[in-house]
Amino acid sequence: MKFPFFDHIWHIRGSVPLAPNQTHDEAYDRLMPLFLKSGTTHERSGDTLTFEKKDQEAQDKMSIFDRGVLQIVDAPGGSFLRYRMASRALLYCFLAPLLFLAFAQLNIQIGEWEKASAAAEAGAEEEDEKETIELPQNVIDKALGAPAPEIDGPGAEDEEEGPSPTPAYVFAGLFVALYLGGRILEDRLIKSLFRKRLHGIGDDKGQNKKDAEGETGSRMLSF
Amino acid sequence: MNGTRVGNRIIGADAPVTVGWENIPKVEGGPVKRFVFTWFQPTMLVALVLFWYYAPNSIATASTAIALGIAFKVLLLGLEWVNPRHDSWRLTWKELATDLFYVGIGYTLVNMIESYIGAGAIIGWVQDSFAWEKFAWFMAMPLLLQAVLISFIFDFGQYWMHRGMHNWYPLWLTHAPHHYITQLNINKGAVGNPIELFLIGLGIGGFFDFMPRAFLLAGTLGLTVSIYQHINVRFNTPRWWRFTFNTTEHHSVHHSQDYEASRSNYSGTWIIIDRMFGTCIDGEAELLGMEGGRPMSIRETMTFPFTEGWKSIKARLGRGEPPPEPAAVPAE
Repeated sequence: MKFPFFDHIWHIRGSVPLAPNQTHDEAYDRLMPLFLKSGTTHERSGDTLTFEKKDQEAQDKMSIFDRGVLQIVDAPGGSFLRYRMASRALLYCFLAPLLFLAFAQLNIQIGEWEKASAAAEAGAEEEDEKETIELPQNVIDKALGAPAPEIDGPGAEDEEEGPSPTPAYVFAGLFVALYLGGRILEDRLIKSLFRKRLHGIGDDKGQNKKDAEGETGSRMLSF
Repeated sequence: MNGTRVGNRIIGADAPVTVGWENIPKVEGGPVKRFVFTWFQPTMLVALVLFWYYAPNSIATASTAIALGIAFKVLLLGLEWVNPRHDSWRLTWKELATDLFYVGIGYTLVNMIESYIGAGAIIGWVQDSFAWEKFAWFMAMPLLLQAVLISFIFDFGQYWMHRGMHNWYPLWLTHAPHHYITQLNINKGAVGNPIELFLIGLGIGGFFDFMPRAFLLAGTLGLTVSIYQHINVRFNTPRWWRFTFNTTEHHSVHHSQDYEASRSNYSGTWIIIDRMFGTCIDGEAELLGMEGGRPMSIRETMTFPFTEGWKSIKARLGRGEPPPEPAAVPAE
């Protein structure tokens, strides 16, 4: 049984047409700087290139991918590059909301347990009345118009028991948004990157040179 | 590489570090851009101090502080986009997602643990043990002085905890993962092992939360000064500011791949504490991290203190090989 949607969670696939009259070797030559980055290993066999990445650098343009397969396919309308790449970063981001929801549930459980134990301890004790204490205020602050300080008396403790689950819910929601944004953004970015490389759009040649220099440069700088 | 002599130390012998304010690049662009990135930091500090000074008691609450903190971070993320200090520190989706994971762990798991056995528990015990009336003399001082004192006392504690982490191997094991970050961004302060976040939170600053307004004002110093430690923005920081406060320049030196440079600028807010104890280096660095900039995964960040600690114990007992240099070398 296949679960295509399940697979789409952390796999990005797509295709980009090669430039007119571009040979397979020329296409791979243009893409090659992407696979010479630190932590990347690759192997080319005919029209297929497979790669793996480990400990990707933060500024590696393919840093979210851990492995993948690229293949150049000949078709009547012209050759195109087909790719399928896996990203653990996307998978973990997809799963992160579950972790934060678990933290929220843990907080709720602790809160309930604390309420129960507090109620048992309090027993028939009467609650202290809330009192408001007048706090001192410096004359300078009074003259400058700062509001008079107020503080609840020692009897006025927070009614809330246990840690709040709200931050965990907020982060669960945040990671849902991050995942959706990342899944769409990274899909577009990688397609655009391959297209620019293959078609030499923009500063492609300069970029190739910069990448090649960057590899050496960063080694030189880090000794 | 020869490095630069600063006092008795040679800075930048292992990796490039720019020493001296006169050697640090300025903000480039038109007069408006230069004006904004010169006065942004002092303006925000004054604006938020005035807000907390005059806000009615109903608004001067912790939830307002949290909302302001989030809004300010979003604004700073925008500044990182507009005027980055280094292109090599650009925020990517993966970096943002990773950073926010650590921020989330800090706000949930670490906070929960801290409220029971960490700073929250200690503060609660101290507050229950002493009558607030004993601190009436403190509360009778001008509000801004109270805030500065709270901030300074808290930062003084953090300075020594941080310096301790760089000088005592067991503490270093918890702090080392934070030094594997290879770029600075606004949320990078949260990146590290949760034990470190727990330890660095052990300060007496929270003890003053029974003086809400002074406490919130002190927190504002953290929000409008300390937050710039991990920011990828080029500012023309005023001379008086960088003499008094910690800056992203100072903190980039602390995160440098250069060993000696990393043993400087320990404070979080008040760099004058480093000046007092001779650990301040004025300058900046772009190449950050450990082991030549090796990235550390979330999994390794979480397990590092335990795996490296275990290796060290085994090596000490003569049952294993010593840990490879410099994976877990205490910074001493």
